Amino acid sequence: MYAWIESTHVIVLMLFLGMLFVIDLRMLGLAFTNVPASRIADRLDKPMMIGFVVMVVTGFILYYAIPVRSTQSIWFRMKVVLLIAAGINAIMFRRKMQQATGDWDTDPKPPKRIRIGAGLSLALWSGVVMTGRTIAYDWFDCHKQLSYFTYWAAGCVDEMAAME
Amino acid sequence: MDLLFLFEWLDTSFLADLSKAYGGVFAVIQMFHLLGLSLMGGMIFVSDLRLLGVLLKDVPSETVVENTQKWFSVALAVMILSGVFMSSAVAIKLYYNEMFWAKMTGLFLGIVFVYTVRRPLLRYAHDSISPWALKMTAISSIVIWLTVAACGRWIGFS
Repeated sequence: MYAWIESTHVIVLMLFLGMLFVIDLRMLGLAFTNVPASRIADRLDKPMMIGFVVMVVTGFILYYAIPVRSTQSIWFRMKVVLLIAAGINAIMFRRKMQQATGDWDTDPKPPKRIRIGAGLSLALWSGVVMTGRTIAYDWFDCHKQLSYFTYWAAGCVDEMAAME
Repeated sequence: MDLLFLFEWLDTSFLADLSKAYGGVFAVIQMFHLLGLSLMGGMIFVSDLRLLGVLLKDVPSETVVENTQKWFSVALAVMILSGVFMSSAVAIKLYYNEMFWAKMTGLFLGIVFVYTVRRPLLRYAHDSISPWALKMTAISSIVIWLTVAACGRWIGFS
């Protein structure tokens, strides 16, 4: 069962991140340059959010299956931080889009502030995927011999207490 | 035709030296494999769902398809290159893995389908093509690539 949820989590990346990539590439002026930017953002928003909901639901189930190890995973912690950053960026980006009066909507290359937001979005969400994938590796698990700082960052409280 | 020699070659190649010795390098390449998957997924879903009349209905389907082709090829290249590297770490094991061969069969079919059927067909004005042919093309494309992706994920479990 875990394998099915995990596979769904990976396959739906194709929908969620796929739509996000198309929108961000448009905002960077690298794809769909002959289609108005707002139209791409608007029409792909729904499928992207459907994908996002599936990602969140399957993600929670995956966390629920292995809660202690995930909480004490340095990668999981980085992923949560990146998720929050990506979320804040997305909200700011949406606001910028709404404030835009449409003067650049049909420009092949949107203005710089939009391109920065799109670049950040690509980088942050890629970071979420990367740290997410790394949770599976045990390099920095609590039972390993690690530095005090790494134990602290991963929240290995027992190992920290043993060192003091 | 026995392809074992290819896997034996890969198993002792320079790539295998890297991928077996450095788990971190392997993990980073694997991340790019996942990001390539996402990019590819975006191009497939946007163009095929447009052909099915689900998305972007107010943009001509020719425009949508044309815009996705370059990035699809970029994503495919990223996936194949990172995939070969990842294979080098476990080449002999993969040779005896059924899921791996299921994925390779799907991948081969998918590549042939995209470059010899889908693209040549969609070069014609889409309203001159039977709507059923368009829909079947889109459904085939989605089914083939989702199967390849699912088999790929399952290699790790099998």
